[in-house]
Amino acid sequence: MAKTVNTPQSNRAWLWLVLWGAVLAYLPTVMTERALFGIPLTNTQLLNLGLTQINLMLISMLGALSLNYLTGCAGLISIGHAAFFATGAMATAIFDNQLGLPFPLVLLAAALAGALVGTLAGLPSLRVRGLYFVLSTLAVHYVVTYVFLEYQFKYFDVVGIPYATPRIGSFEINTPVRWYVLLLPLVILVFMGLRASLKSREGRAMLAMRDHELAATAMGVDVRFLRLKAFGLSSAIASLAGALFAYYLSNVTSEAFNINFAIQFIAMIIIGGMGSLSGSLVGAAIWLLLPSIIGGLSPDSGSNNEFLNKLLVENRAQLVQLIFSLLVIVFLIFAPGGVAGLSIRLKNRWTAWRNAA
Amino acid sequence: MSTVLDIQHLSVAYNRKGFALEDVSMQVPQGGIVALLGANGAGKSTLIRAVTGLLDLHHGQISGGQVHMLGQLVSGMPAHRLVRMGMGQVPEGRLVFKQLSVEDNLLVGAAVLPRSQIKDGLDAVYHLFPRLLERRSQAAGWMSGGEQQMLALGRAMISKPKLLLVDELSLGLAPLIVIEIYKQLRVIGETLGTAMLVVEQNANLALSFAQSAYLLQQGRVVLSGSAQEVAASPEMKPSYLGEDKTVKGTA
Repeated sequence: MAKTVNTPQSNRAWLWLVLWGAVLAYLPTVMTERALFGIPLTNTQLLNLGLTQINLMLISMLGALSLNYLTGCAGLISIGHAAFFATGAMATAIFDNQLGLPFPLVLLAAALAGALVGTLAGLPSLRVRGLYFVLSTLAVHYVVTYVFLEYQFKYFDVVGIPYATPRIGSFEINTPVRWYVLLLPLVILVFMGLRASLKSREGRAMLAMRDHELAATAMGVDVRFLRLKAFGLSSAIASLAGALFAYYLSNVTSEAFNINFAIQFIAMIIIGGMGSLSGSLVGAAIWLLLPSIIGGLSPDSGSNNEFLNKLLVENRAQLVQLIFSLLVIVFLIFAPGGVAGLSIRLKNRWTAWRNAA
Repeated sequence: MSTVLDIQHLSVAYNRKGFALEDVSMQVPQGGIVALLGANGAGKSTLIRAVTGLLDLHHGQISGGQVHMLGQLVSGMPAHRLVRMGMGQVPEGRLVFKQLSVEDNLLVGAAVLPRSQIKDGLDAVYHLFPRLLERRSQAAGWMSGGEQQMLALGRAMISKPKLLLVDELSLGLAPLIVIEIYKQLRVIGETLGTAMLVVEQNANLALSFAQSAYLLQQGRVVLSGSAQEVAASPEMKPSYLGEDKTVKGTA
């Protein structure tokens, strides 16, 4: 493989890495103390964000990564991603609440359960293509959420399934900072793992399969096997995220995994850029954080205008959603390739400009 | 001379309705180049699909006969296993992986090679097609038709196939480029000793390139023999090689 040479480029890459590492390590301190280097920050300066939102974003990043691997890289469109989150949440209830397994083992079991359900859900991909396959993933969504509902009502109650605070040994993961310390390395690990898998021989074959199934088959790629494998891996990660999601919320009902929940991941990878792993991270960040940021920008209205008051206070949530969706639409009109496509375009323009200068 | 590809009494039907191929027998000898000729709809592509195992992707079925490659029965085998046995393919319409780089395209083709041979394989392709070396990190979809055809050829030859199936190489390409690519194809045949079955609309070109030829008409072999025999035969002349101006004048 490539040797590490101290070119200016690799130096710059290291600099970025250190910088990002420092930011990510310092972030929880800023968020909990609500101050930067001892200087207190207002809520608006903190973009109306808290560590809880960051943690939920990290969990969503796992979902977006796994869906982009499946849809953007393997070319299989799925609207069944909520089902795999639900699988993880249900596996957690079984292996933790009912069987009392320790937290790390529960996570592992949830991932395995996800891989199993995902491989089964991927079976139709061997026979049907395109829109018909999308419909089959929709069917998976309803089957799994129905099973979840029945399970919830049989062993728990209408209020939902309660989850205990996870602990590793005697160390309880009970504060947002501890969650952050658990989730961040996990996201990095999954990201690196998926990236390595795409660079492998099999990953390349998968991208070839996405570009042209028939040609890939003619080159000796076993398309059916790769499809099932992509589905299994993707849903294992989604299921792991579902388990973490359930633990984090500490109470989950079947309604949490509705069809909107599945569609938001599709939105994330479209915003971030199909087929780009780092794009999925950005997409998840935009989807989870931007509404809150928009909400923070509108000041608490002290206006006497009744209409404005009503709009900004009572219907604030709707207003935020409205602005957010408009922003997303406008963004996608000007950057159809998502954030990933946009950054490639900017990079090309930058090199062209520098070469011209 | 031993045969690489042996097709015996092959019949194919699509959706169980009507025959696309009927009782076709054909041999490709070791190191030989065989041309498969015929008009549109004669069954050329169907024959390639039946041999490569891609028939079921097109809802077709082998309803009779057998295909042997290197003495092994291959009809009914999944397509990806055939590639591992040494069957290479340059599909109709090139079908390069447009979003992947040129080198990644070649590496997909090299996936059946042991890792230690991949570098030599790449070098061999780049030696034959220096243009691909220039464009190795470019997305394949951005290249011209001729370059994409070179890539499709390189992608197929990198795995050192024992049998290469070439479908409509000249489709949509300028005549000069077609001739250049055919020259390279001959080099591949000579250096690797690859046997080839070449499907071609341009009968003149195919007959000057191949040693023997088969003519398909409505799913049946109506003519076969050495390239010279086929070229000289009366059935061939008017409809496939173009009539003489003088003959046309008298008609």
